[in-house]
Amino acid sequence: MQTLSLSQELPKRFGSLFEQQFNHYKNKADFVAFKMISETTRDFTVRNGKPDMMHTFHDIGVLIEIMKDGHIGYGATCELTPDGIAKAFAAAEKMTGVSSKYPVAKFDMSVRPKSIGQFKSQRQTGLDQLSAAQIYDFLKKTSLKLKVNDKIITASAEAMVIECRQKYMSSQGANFEQDFNIIVSAFSATAQDGAETQTRSLHGGRGICLQIGSEFFDIDRTLAECEQTSAEALELLTAPNCPTETCDVILAPDQMLLQIHESIGHPLELDRILGDERNFAGWSFVQPQDFGSLEYGSKIMNVVFDPTASNEMASYAFDEVGNPAERKYLIKDGILQAGLGSLESQYRSQISGVANSRSSSWNRAPIDRMANINLEGGSHSLEQMISEVENGVIMYANRSWSIDDYRRKFQFGCEIAKQVKNGKVVGTLKNPNYRGITVPFWKSLKALTANNTVETYGSPYCGKGEPSQVIRVGHSSPYALFNNIEIFGG
Amino acid sequence: MKTYIKKFSEELFSGLKSGEQLGLFLHSEDSTFLRFSQSKVRQNTSVHQHEVTLQFNKEQRSLKMRFNLTMHLEHDLQSAKHLLDDARVQLMQMDPHPQFIALKNNGTSETFKKVDRPADSEVPGLIYETYKDTDLAGFWCSGPLRQASINSEGQFHFFETDYFFLDYSLYNGPKAAKGYYSAEKFSLPEFQAQAQATKNKLNLLNRPMQTIPRGKHDVYLEPMAMAEILGTMSYGSLSQGNFNKGYAPLKKLKDKELKLSPKFSMTENFDLGLSPLFNSVGELSPNKVNLIENGELKSLLTSTATAKEYNIETNFADVSEAPRSLDVRAGTLAEKDALSKLGQGLYLSNLHYINYSDVQTARMTGMTRFACFYVENGEIVGPIQDLRFDESIYNIFGDNLVELTKESSVFVSTMTYLKRELGAFKTPGALIKNFNFTL
Repeated sequence: MQTLSLSQELPKRFGSLFEQQFNHYKNKADFVAFKMISETTRDFTVRNGKPDMMHTFHDIGVLIEIMKDGHIGYGATCELTPDGIAKAFAAAEKMTGVSSKYPVAKFDMSVRPKSIGQFKSQRQTGLDQLSAAQIYDFLKKTSLKLKVNDKIITASAEAMVIECRQKYMSSQGANFEQDFNIIVSAFSATAQDGAETQTRSLHGGRGICLQIGSEFFDIDRTLAECEQTSAEALELLTAPNCPTETCDVILAPDQMLLQIHESIGHPLELDRILGDERNFAGWSFVQPQDFGSLEYGSKIMNVVFDPTASNEMASYAFDEVGNPAERKYLIKDGILQAGLGSLESQYRSQISGVANSRSSSWNRAPIDRMANINLEGGSHSLEQMISEVENGVIMYANRSWSIDDYRRKFQFGCEIAKQVKNGKVVGTLKNPNYRGITVPFWKSLKALTANNTVETYGSPYCGKGEPSQVIRVGHSSPYALFNNIEIFGG
Repeated sequence: MKTYIKKFSEELFSGLKSGEQLGLFLHSEDSTFLRFSQSKVRQNTSVHQHEVTLQFNKEQRSLKMRFNLTMHLEHDLQSAKHLLDDARVQLMQMDPHPQFIALKNNGTSETFKKVDRPADSEVPGLIYETYKDTDLAGFWCSGPLRQASINSEGQFHFFETDYFFLDYSLYNGPKAAKGYYSAEKFSLPEFQAQAQATKNKLNLLNRPMQTIPRGKHDVYLEPMAMAEILGTMSYGSLSQGNFNKGYAPLKKLKDKELKLSPKFSMTENFDLGLSPLFNSVGELSPNKVNLIENGELKSLLTSTATAKEYNIETNFADVSEAPRSLDVRAGTLAEKDALSKLGQGLYLSNLHYINYSDVQTARMTGMTRFACFYVENGEIVGPIQDLRFDESIYNIFGDNLVELTKESSVFVSTMTYLKRELGAFKTPGALIKNFNFTL
């Protein structure tokens, strides 16, 4: 079987041009950096056992960074020829020159360190060894497993198989390469009976996001999980609605991923706090003076920025301007410690940050992004946690999300809930939703399951920026118990 | 670009074998993005991006392969031929596609548009000088954007437009007012007038802050707030394919269990002239497709692929079955009378982060954002703290819809995820009673 070898061939074809052109331009401004991103995505969906979407995307281009009088501007092109690079450099030089007369900030070279090294996603077998037929066959089998009977009207299995290479060189002497293998997958069953329609998926839509090789495609494990998914979709057709009340809520890791993302990750981004995102993604309730003092949540709340985690989707050795990536506590014992701010944001705000200057591809400038934001485990077993709930619900897998532009008032919905009475699971509920306000919500965190229960998920589509960008993020979490939460149904 | 893509595609077509078809969809842009904060430039990015999607068809099977053009013909043909050689092998290892549609010749067309806009190099100074007395955050986007749909059956559609917009908000501490400017012909007096109008709105926020309790309130939605709701509706709710797959917020409308207000009509209207009439496979949409007329669902957006799978009629929607040029019919309320007709309630200029909280009942949740005010006796009393709403489309555009304004606003799409998106909304403002706020 022939693989999509263009993913191997393109970076080789343009690698020497990239280095030649960088060397040609590296002394033509106060600072110059070239970044080449080459990414191949095979995105296949099989629905009801038949091909639905069969797409491949080979994306390659160069981002040029120029510093002029302390202002940094960008030129991006997929025209990978000397003329194309010249056009991009000229456009970047012209607009950076004009913009440098009206800069938000004037930086120095400390925001572009001289980093040298390499990174490779942890994997047993590279995704370049995986044929399209192998992916298709896996998805066909899992899709058919999801379609257990005629009430399942849509049984969908999707895999995005991503091979990404980054190379960065700067006039400061930075020279690093990173090689990522990433899989994003989604398996869902939609059941319908009369007017009732319910969808259940494996950990939410595209919640399964990992840096991993082709060993991901474990057919026996996935078939068993798909069988359970379909059974729950059918169960939801006759389940009662989630009640409207205030009670204890246990959130499963595949919902916690969204809770962490929206109510911890985004409000801690320093570029939001500095106001860059006000017009689009929003601002933040967190103030610069809150770092080191704000009681963000209860004392058992410990949150880390961890780009070193094995197999988590947003692991890397350097951010995209060469800042070495290290694990760091954002919240320790409930107290806010550090922000999600790149070297540029740290320079502007003088707040402790992390290595998180990232862009969606070669055609966008890097901005402050989440990477892997993880909640550390506690001491409970799940059984012990449930036993402590007199009246409550366990919610699984996000299906609806909304939060205000300061990241305070949120409302999230899940695919399925289990009702808990007097310490025992007594039934299944459909259309579970809950709402709250960020800091009071995290202060109501009462228990976490142990680290051996932590599960790792992520999202390929965190949106932000003007022009807009999506970024890949990872989130690990245990089960978490919150007291006195407003819940409601459909 | 037109000459290049023509030559490129002809070279590829000449190499096809018997029984093979090839379609090409081009997206090309030369864009200037200027990002502002504090009325100054945070980041400037110039982007030259040209991507082509090859659709290779053979024996009831289809594979789409996207890659970037380097604009060096030899390189680009090498990449394309590499992909086609791979596709010939891979496709035959997969099953026939139930939505397979053979490519056909949907004709030829060429459209070129260009607005009159300031040179990119003038924009940083223009923005700074116009807004230096306030704090602007937002971005400027300009430059040519091209799309083409070409295939081996002889089809050639090419669309090129060159436009600009400024999408921004002004700040006085945490108080903010939203602004937007785009025009066929840039006019400095017009630009300055809209800037002043936004500054005036920001000044209204200096009045005392009002605390509004949860519960039901009458509201006036400015067109920009309406566009947020329509944007959420556009994302899957109007798709025939999604409907059949079980994602169907408008099921009760389609099944005629419920009706919307007879005042509410919604059309896919290409006469707005802001999107090409051809879709990614080159099919030409009717100029107008009635989606909802006088409160009743007339049609959902149906691609030819969906039509084939479910044996129904196509209306030549694109594969995504999302509207590309949505037009909500205007009403009879003069915008200047909106406050007095509202009497007591909330004036909402913008909404934010809307998502369905319950698809089956078409219930949406989202937040108020930017300049939103409490109104009493038809007068603005003061700004409100942001509120969360949770309300059904069947209420918003159903019995609770009091009136739509006579005036409409057109919003060119400001979406720039991965690439600039063509498209537009045209919508009036709306007076709605008993809007449900929950937090």
